[in-house]
Amino acid sequence: MCLAIPMKVIAIKGFNATCEAKGVSREVSLHLVQGLEVKVGDYVMVHVGYALQVITYDDAQVTWEMLDQVIAYDA
Amino acid sequence: MYSVESLLRDIKNTSLSKPFRILNVCGGHERAITRAGFRTLFQHNIHLIPGPGCPVCICPEEDIAYAIHLAINENVVIVSFGDMLRVPVEHEMGGCSSLIDAKNQGADIRPISSPQEAVSIALEEPRKVIVFFAVGFETTMAPIAATLLNDLPNNFKVLLSGRLTWPAVAHVLESQPNTFDALIAPGHVATIMGSEEWQFAIDHHNLPVSIAGFHPESLLLSLQTLLGNCSNKVVTLSNRYPEVVKQNGNAAAKAIINKAFTIVDAHWRGIGVIPGSGFSFASRLSHLDATNDYAPVDFPSQCAQNVPETTSPCEKVILGKMAPDACPFFGQECKPASPKGACMVSDEGACRIWYSSGERSITNVIKKGNTLKVEMK
Ligand code: SF4
Ligand code: SF4
Repeated sequence: MCLAIPMKVIAIKGFNATCEAKGVSREVSLHLVQGLEVKVGDYVMVHVGYALQVITYDDAQVTWEMLDQVIAYDA
Repeated sequence: MYSVESLLRDIKNTSLSKPFRILNVCGGHERAITRAGFRTLFQHNIHLIPGPGCPVCICPEEDIAYAIHLAINENVVIVSFGDMLRVPVEHEMGGCSSLIDAKNQGADIRPISSPQEAVSIALEEPRKVIVFFAVGFETTMAPIAATLLNDLPNNFKVLLSGRLTWPAVAHVLESQPNTFDALIAPGHVATIMGSEEWQFAIDHHNLPVSIAGFHPESLLLSLQTLLGNCSNKVVTLSNRYPEVVKQNGNAAAKAIINKAFTIVDAHWRGIGVIPGSGFSFASRLSHLDATNDYAPVDFPSQCAQNVPETTSPCEKVILGKMAPDACPFFGQECKPASPKGACMVSDEGACRIWYSSGERSITNVIKKGNTLKVEMK
């Protein structure tokens, strides 16, 4: 239920960011990462519309590979 | 740098006088473990036991029944995360044994994927009362807290059924002493709350703890560390998901949770009442509480009280006392399409995961994984 997925930050407006992953973009709230510096181009772990943590590109990649397997495997 | 192969070799070659019993308490971990086939691969020296790892599975029946009641008798719109709609309750409410049943009979019940979506529905339907049936562990309660602290429309109410993870783990460890040798702690809960929250298992239960991420390497690193603890007779807290989990978690998120909620004793399906394990509204948000506006319903069971131990198979699975496939209903009367228990409904329920996986082999993971290296921090 609370899988967090990595997304790339495309644009930031106040506490709202447009994030993208696998060609899908989504509005994501930055409320919960307000203590951290988030910039356009950064990667964040997103859960139910909120960024929970800032991560590196490599970590995002690893998680995406894992999720791809989960999706392929559940289909 | 550690490669998957060397980790696998290391773990397989660790010989112990008896199998090392590791409890995991996260549906995401259970899924990764099952999918990778670690259980089969390490069966000679490690027993991997799923415990209370999913907020949907442990949501008490009386809360679901109350949500059904509000939807059919009070004419409100119930919105909740999709999995909650299919969870069966044993004691039917108005002839309905799940929210989806009530929906099929005409009640207005809608699945959502974020708390913000719940608010949008309230804004779109100003003449209706929208009740957000809010279920989740800390990971989900932080976003919910942030949403509830915003300006909200007057027709937006909340039925709160959030839970904290660690008190349930403490309960399992206390009620079943000497049953587990180590604990894999949930990565996304620790993202919010910090790795330090799990120190209690070391201090009070002398149990090594490792925080794991969700890819096989991270889990293997955790297994290796825990086994190493056993061989070296030490008990440590290790963080094998350091890229996301910090020692004290996400400070902003914790502050938001504390602003929105207070901590209360709470009932867990299959477990009973666990002290200090539930979220309730802080006084600044008490006007959102749907239970203020609608009378309670009589729920005919022991559910509202402390039920320390019962005989339902799901409860044994939730407590880590029985493997899913040992349930007589598993794959027979109980399947994802026609679930008999909550653990077969949720994507993170142990029964659902085991049913959807069948026998898995490690080879796929190695093929994928051997290009990846994990750095020890
Ligand atoms: S990610 Fe969080 S809610 Fe989901 S199974 Fe793991 S601990 Fe539970
Ligand atoms: S198989 Fe079904 S009935 Fe048996 S423990 Fe799992 S969810 Fe419960």
